[in-house]
Amino acid sequence: MNLIKDLPELTQAGVISKETASAIQDFYEKKKNSSNNPLFIIFGILGSILVGLGIILILAHNWDELGRVTKTIIAFVPLVTGQLTCAYVFFKKSNSNAWSESASAFLFIAVGASISLISQIYNIPGNLGSFLLTWSLLCLPLIYLMKSSIASILYLIGITCFACEANYWSSSSNESQWFWFLYLGVLPHYYHLYKNKPISNFMTFHNWIIPISLLIVLGSVAQSTEELLVPAYFSLLGLFYLIGDLEFIRNQKSRNNGYRILSSIGTIGMLLVLSFDWYWDHLKYTNFSFKEFLLAPEFIATAIITILAGGLLVMKFKNSSFNTFKPISFLLLAFIGIFLVGMYSNAAIILINFCVLALGILTIRNGAQQNHLGIMNFGLLIITALVTCRFFDTDLSFVIRGIMFLAVGTGFFSLNYWLLKKRTNHA
Amino acid sequence: MHRKKIGLLAFILVALAQLYVPAKMIIDKELVLHSGKEFKFRTAPVDPNDQFRGKYITLSYSDNVVEVDENEKWNRGENIYALIETDNEGFAFIESVSREKPENSEDYLFTKVQYNGQNKLFVEFPFDRFYMEESKAYDAEMIYRENERDITSTTYALVRIKEGEAVLENVFIDDIPIKDLVEAGR
Repeated sequence: MNLIKDLPELTQAGVISKETASAIQDFYEKKKNSSNNPLFIIFGILGSILVGLGIILILAHNWDELGRVTKTIIAFVPLVTGQLTCAYVFFKKSNSNAWSESASAFLFIAVGASISLISQIYNIPGNLGSFLLTWSLLCLPLIYLMKSSIASILYLIGITCFACEANYWSSSSNESQWFWFLYLGVLPHYYHLYKNKPISNFMTFHNWIIPISLLIVLGSVAQSTEELLVPAYFSLLGLFYLIGDLEFIRNQKSRNNGYRILSSIGTIGMLLVLSFDWYWDHLKYTNFSFKEFLLAPEFIATAIITILAGGLLVMKFKNSSFNTFKPISFLLLAFIGIFLVGMYSNAAIILINFCVLALGILTIRNGAQQNHLGIMNFGLLIITALVTCRFFDTDLSFVIRGIMFLAVGTGFFSLNYWLLKKRTNHA
Repeated sequence: MHRKKIGLLAFILVALAQLYVPAKMIIDKELVLHSGKEFKFRTAPVDPNDQFRGKYITLSYSDNVVEVDENEKWNRGENIYALIETDNEGFAFIESVSREKPENSEDYLFTKVQYNGQNKLFVEFPFDRFYMEESKAYDAEMIYRENERDITSTTYALVRIKEGEAVLENVFIDDIPIKDLVEAGR
């Protein structure tokens, strides 16, 4: 909060002394000019990345006038420039975030540029996967040497693309398993951010990109028992919910809590998809042998994530009362049960529909208790989505579907009216 | 001070690693260019566009196939060694393939199985991109297409090979480099 505008008024009213006022003014002046100002950092990074990309594009023109030797030397220029800048920052400007983030961003781009330019000069056909892997690995140390969060973000993007390339975008290879080790490489930096800059912009970026990366890559573990990916994703979303409810992030603005938003939207989306019968029909006719089931990477992934989430859930139980419990965190356990039921019977579809309905109602209740229109309407939206999905199931009669829509529509009106009225009465 | 020293050491190591990767690529390829044997591979090209690396012509080859024993099983993507020889017309062909490194010759490619046909094995050639100056790639493609229709002309890629490694040096249409043809056509 910037108090400078109010300072004269505060001094005049005798709330603060003149000395305090000038001390406050000095503080903000200093903050504005220091190179740790967020604006400096943002523009520094943007500038470096743009300059880096500009150099790549100019060199990618592949000037025929230049000989092979000249081109090769030029390919090293951005790399060496980046390294020298980083060295300068490392020894002379190590306290300036703006310098170290900008220099790291430039060097990050330069490493990729020089490898791809050499590939161009020698007509080396690209293997995008191994290129991304080499590039990311060569830049991993920058995160810790330069204490650079932009390097960490670019690295996460790099390894996520690598896992996608190795698994989703090209024919099967097991290389993408490396992702899990590479991913661990960034966690110490995340912990460092949490300890030292828990409310910084970079922490917020990490709170989004760390779960998104996992969400994208989890599917790459799939081999022959893809059906098991559904419980794996459920457990992961449950884990995200529990993490999003941890102390370090719970009281931040909702838009900064990537874990909670991803998990809420993801869980409801998945439940809605599963409220149709295709997946369950498919599951019922798939026969796994017990051994196949236990050794499947999808099962191992589900087990690991569920154990982690279960641990967090137990921790929560111990530390907080039953009342403050959010309904979504129970779904994690409930889904494992539903999945087991679904392997043998269609009752799972009914249970899933019931879960979505319960989730909607509990969210509405939550919104009403907190006097929060947004949360309450989100609950109503969940129910609307459920009803819309059922609209497409032709085996329900028009009358029943009509009544369902009428009920939800009336609910929207009456609940919003009730909450607004409650507010005016209190005011 | 001690911390600073460790930092300096780590910094130098990282910088060296970052320089080593591109430098190793250059050295490997230069070695092949200097002492590798020259082969001409018959081609048939198309031109896609890779934003990251400028423009290039994608080459496909007509002689990337070898007869193999029907009973032997080769998997798609499997690593193999392909022994290269020159035919009477002076063009390269695959003499044989094996899973073990050939001992009597340096003229072999280390590559992958593309796919397995009936007693025929299709082999990936790791030199299917020829980078052109941005402004010439399109014209080069046009010239190529015309010459592909013209059965009297021969297009080929000049490749140097040594102990598994290969470097694509140039692409020719009737013994004239494609770059010169583009320039002459302007």
